[in-house]
Amino acid sequence: MDVRLEGLSKSFGANVVLKALDLTFPERKFVTLLGPSGCGKTTLLRLIAGLERASAGAILFGGERVDHLPPGERNIAMVFQSYALYPTMDVAANIGYGLKVRGVPRPERAERVGLVARVLEIAHLLKRKPRALSGGQRQRVALGRAMVRKPDIFLMDEPLSNLDAKLRATMRGELKRFHLDLETTSIYVTHDQLEAMTMSDLIAVMNEGEVQQFATPEEVYDRPVNLFVAGFIGSPPMNFCDVTVTERNGAPALMLAERALPAPPGFDLSRVEAGRRLVLGIRPQDVRLARPDEPGAVPGTVWMVELIGSERLVEVEVAPKLRITAEVKAEVRATIDAPAAVALDATKMHLFDPETGRALPRLR
Amino acid sequence: MTPREAVDRVLLYALLLAVTVVVCFPLAWAFFTSVKPKDEIFAWPPTLWPQAWTLENYRTLFAGKQAYFQGGTAAATAPPPSAFFLDWFLNSVLIAAGTTAISTIVSTLAAYSLTRFRFPGQRAVPFLALIGYMVPSIIFVFPMFLVMADLRLTDTLASLVLGYVCITLPFCMWLMWAFFRGVPVEIEEAALVDGASRLRVFLEIVLPTAWPGIVAAAIFTLIVSWNDYLFGRVFINTMENLPLTVGVMHFFDGTHVDWGLMMASSVLMTVPMALLFALLQRHLVAGFGAGAVKG
Repeated sequence: MDVRLEGLSKSFGANVVLKALDLTFPERKFVTLLGPSGCGKTTLLRLIAGLERASAGAILFGGERVDHLPPGERNIAMVFQSYALYPTMDVAANIGYGLKVRGVPRPERAERVGLVARVLEIAHLLKRKPRALSGGQRQRVALGRAMVRKPDIFLMDEPLSNLDAKLRATMRGELKRFHLDLETTSIYVTHDQLEAMTMSDLIAVMNEGEVQQFATPEEVYDRPVNLFVAGFIGSPPMNFCDVTVTERNGAPALMLAERALPAPPGFDLSRVEAGRRLVLGIRPQDVRLARPDEPGAVPGTVWMVELIGSERLVEVEVAPKLRITAEVKAEVRATIDAPAAVALDATKMHLFDPETGRALPRLR
Repeated sequence: MTPREAVDRVLLYALLLAVTVVVCFPLAWAFFTSVKPKDEIFAWPPTLWPQAWTLENYRTLFAGKQAYFQGGTAAATAPPPSAFFLDWFLNSVLIAAGTTAISTIVSTLAAYSLTRFRFPGQRAVPFLALIGYMVPSIIFVFPMFLVMADLRLTDTLASLVLGYVCITLPFCMWLMWAFFRGVPVEIEEAALVDGASRLRVFLEIVLPTAWPGIVAAAIFTLIVSWNDYLFGRVFINTMENLPLTVGVMHFFDGTHVDWGLMMASSVLMTVPMALLFALLQRHLVAGFGAGAVKG
């Protein structure tokens, strides 16, 4: 069942949290709402769940308007950040509560709870209270509670954020697997871009109550539509430098720290007037260390070196207060304050309008 | 265990023993006095352990008014105070039960609404209620007596129930407020998503979670309404309607004190509360503890 938002807005007093969103979450897709704290992603999820009332606009499930219905009548399931297990009930009662409320007879309830518990490998925990469970086990119980009712829409509000890094990595795969098995539309809220990139079919990048970009993980990463998305997606973050459009040997070029770089092939800069300022974005993975005399290299001095496991981050200051980070193999050595140069992969460059923040149109 | 730790432990147990003796001695004295014959109560030197045991005092208290009237002396003199003991006991039970039921139910609902619904002054209400509880009861008692008189409720058990509700409700509400603040809203939202109605969420999810707090509030109300003397003294003026605390004072009269009946009454007054404490102690400790931390 698809989920459609039409002009959906939400305000708390004078504080506008969501600004007239128009969006469709396609059926059976795993969609992630990604953004920094306070961007409105959890509010949007709560509106879809029916836990908040919209200030304006409509929510449609499978073409039918649902925003007037209470949460229990929307046939959704939700996994909360804190798991929200019922503390006085044992695991079996927690998982089966939704069925009990719906009047499912006790034997059928027990059977369905048992089935879900076996799938989630928590059958041996059914008689335990939530306080006697580990974080990972609680997580599974919360998932079980959501799965047992066979919901049309599966909502998840940062369900992995309370787990340790190792368990989080395991659960990412499991959640995606459950989504494929359940064949429901899943909407997942996170501020962790790694979760979004690894699990999603589609990502809605949000900021200040607006969806900045709604696309596949590859597109969001490779073709960010604006400076916010470009800066928010990717770790370490994208390098941004002010450049000026110029002409060299009859072809457009970009002036960076008094060096002319060939214009990136993905953009038509012939129509951009010379002297115009742009913002050049390039990911650290697309920057390499070069010899200072190498053509197209931008010279500078090493400002900082950080080892991040199999890679090393080398920050090179190419002009006062202008630093470019290169992600290189850990074997590559660099000394702080030593002369160095960086070479940027022109095919991976992004260009943005500094006034609007929007990406320049790319050639098809 | 090091010698230092051993000494500390011995000192600690000695202190605990001393406190226990100080607290328990009056209770033991009351019990032993209640089972002594009258002449032994006044014997010199006094004895703690009775030389002769008797249940005469208890028999007198439990005989009630019926026995007095059957004795054929009713027309000549008024019944002695001991004839009213069962009335007083029943009055106290009714007053305590009524107060506890009203105070606990109202404070639970009020506290829940204070933590879950937004309205102006929401934050101030619990603290104002607590300040109200800090005002001594003696300040309330006479204005409340005038109100009861206007309502024609004086000399009724209802006046005492209303009076005790007025003095226990603010603290109970504050206690429950502290409790409900510790109950995460998400578990209620999870139940709503599971399809439960608001009422069902309250009854099946919120109340069981807040149970220790409810027990703590109920026990507090029970203690206040069972032990209070002041309101009963002011509001009630017929022998049949007195609560136990005021009634037993009639064992003092102008010429003598019936220590045997007095002590037997004290023991019988203490037993229900002691039993209740023994049964609910675990909840009470959890209740006050959790309320304090989460409040």
